[in-house]
Amino acid sequence: MTSRRGFLVGMLATGLAPAATWAEAGAPDYLSAGQGADGTHALYGLTGDGAIRFRQPIPGRGHAAAAHPHRAHAVGFARRPGTFAFVLDCVTGRTVAEFSAPQGRHFYGHGVFSRDGSLLYTPENDYDAARGVIGVWDVAAGYRRLGEFASHGVGPHDIRLMPDGATLVIANGGIETHPDSGRAKLNIPVMQPNLVYLGLEGALRELVELPPALHMNSIRHLDLRGDGLVGFAMQWQGGQGALPPVLGTHHRGAAPRLLGAGSADQMNGYGGSVAFSGDGSLLAVSSPRGGRVQTFDVETGALAQSLAMEDVCGLGAAPGGFLLSSGTGRLARLDPAGETPVTRAPVRWDNHLVRLSGA
Amino acid sequence: MRFLVSLLFTGFLTLSAGAAQAGAKSDDILDHHVLPGLRALAETTTALEAATRADCTADSAALRSAYGTAFDAWIAVSHLRFGPAETQARGFSLAFWPDTRGLTPKILRSLIAGEDPVVETAGEFATVSIAGRGFYALELLLYDPGIASLGDAAYRCALTRAIAGDIAATAADLSRDWQSNYAALMRAPGVGGPYQNDAEVLQEFFKALTTGLEINADLRLGRPMGQVGKPRPLRAEARRSGRSLHHVVVSLTALRDLAARLSVGEADLAARLDHGFDTALNRAAKLDDPVFAGVATPQGRLRIEVLQQAIAAIRTEASQSLGPALGVAAGFNSLDGD
Repeated sequence: MTSRRGFLVGMLATGLAPAATWAEAGAPDYLSAGQGADGTHALYGLTGDGAIRFRQPIPGRGHAAAAHPHRAHAVGFARRPGTFAFVLDCVTGRTVAEFSAPQGRHFYGHGVFSRDGSLLYTPENDYDAARGVIGVWDVAAGYRRLGEFASHGVGPHDIRLMPDGATLVIANGGIETHPDSGRAKLNIPVMQPNLVYLGLEGALRELVELPPALHMNSIRHLDLRGDGLVGFAMQWQGGQGALPPVLGTHHRGAAPRLLGAGSADQMNGYGGSVAFSGDGSLLAVSSPRGGRVQTFDVETGALAQSLAMEDVCGLGAAPGGFLLSSGTGRLARLDPAGETPVTRAPVRWDNHLVRLSGA
Repeated sequence: MRFLVSLLFTGFLTLSAGAAQAGAKSDDILDHHVLPGLRALAETTTALEAATRADCTADSAALRSAYGTAFDAWIAVSHLRFGPAETQARGFSLAFWPDTRGLTPKILRSLIAGEDPVVETAGEFATVSIAGRGFYALELLLYDPGIASLGDAAYRCALTRAIAGDIAATAADLSRDWQSNYAALMRAPGVGGPYQNDAEVLQEFFKALTTGLEINADLRLGRPMGQVGKPRPLRAEARRSGRSLHHVVVSLTALRDLAARLSVGEADLAARLDHGFDTALNRAAKLDDPVFAGVATPQGRLRIEVLQQAIAAIRTEASQSLGPALGVAAGFNSLDGD
């Protein structure tokens, strides 16, 4: 006999139960993983003014999350080489489904939904073959695995759906790792990162590489502007001598453009997060290793602002600028007039602030 | 009031003494750990090149002995992968490992099959992919039955000499860069240099220690161990020359020296770290499994796992106690990003 609880969980997992939409009141504006003062990890729902709407404990360190396009659901992922994922109702903060990477795969901490919300795409490591794959999950069937296709690179990290709704853009970081060796990097001298555009069934549409001298600049994180301009943040794996830029932009069919060559040394070769401003005129990149956020005028490529902030990493678009988060528990607003502190919480905010669709 | 003033004054003295001691620590590490290690690498690789000139046959006892001595000298400084080792990818051109895609044998086979004239001059050979250079490429030429007998013997001899000559030249460059340039930058940190202050210099050495421990635990041991029920003995480092476990011992011995120098003035911590190294080295000595072939059996794997845990314990001690004692900033995102 099916228990009532089991039945309800099943209903929720399959998405048959009526679920709140983003438009309904109560959903937070951002999600962020974080570590509380007691050392435990959780996924938090945050409003733009820093209020914590919910805190959902998770079994290990988190990374980023994927927001459902309509329903107020978000998927949180373990950071690499973790294999757990969980679906949260962002109004109640409750877990409504859980799933795991299949045998021989692990997540990278990122994912994205199809435009209609019926499919979820997750960058994964097919580690015995040292190749990246994109896992495809059936949302309505309770996040059942449908299949996977090649990411056309090694170490696929961030993934976004292009504004056409028919193309995925993926940052293949290029770094080979294997769970047998923890997080150790196995192929730095021969790594080859790229940015690829794939159809929704995996057809390769475009593959973009940086000049050979930059083959150790791992392309890791992405943000999109409404016109399809891709912003990408990089992490330099080469020497500390002449540090290359950690930020770039790309338009389909054009050559990639790197930003901040003149100010790259301040970023310590490490771009942590990237985000366009709400109006799309500015692009920000954070560097926890440099303790700094830089913003650039997207049209001219000129450095607009450079703000020092200890252990800053999370970046999200906010009205008129950006919301920033740090591993020291700070949230702050950054707009052209400067920085405004928002809150300081006893939480070490993890790498990314995920802006929720309906917010 | 006088009490307060004297307290403040004592506090000031302690801080100054701490600063002086920190500078002294960097000097000590450079003078007694880094520079002698680099000098030994330059000397032993020069001797290795000379040995290939005298006798380039793969099974020459003199050549194999010179090879082992030079490789030891590299392993003993291989945790110093910053600065001069990053310049012109010197570290990777001396040591391309792990080779997850089998590039080294592929390149060697192709050079030998085509009798590529790139071996004729040092300048030309320096353009060969780093996967075809360094100690691990030379190991295949000396110890891999397939490659050591492939193609024409005279060409293999020329290739052996070219690789050894390239190793010696890279090691000489690396050593020279340290002795005449980089050590001075670490002794006099400041604006415009790679380090702003002595704390950053010590942080670099601390990172070298923890990364070195990670390479022993996660790569040298972790790769052949594989997952439970899925051992990977063929992934053991330098297994053809029987050096897999030996490298762990040589590396841990060097890291123990670095840890001791970093923890000068912290007696309890120094003792705990030294005890950790003692435990790990004792377990390594008792292992009696030079190429980690034991990973193929549950009992053998367990014994290697016990060594891995001993190394992990040193790493935990270093991160939790030595890092804070050195004032290493442990940012949630800056220290452990993704």
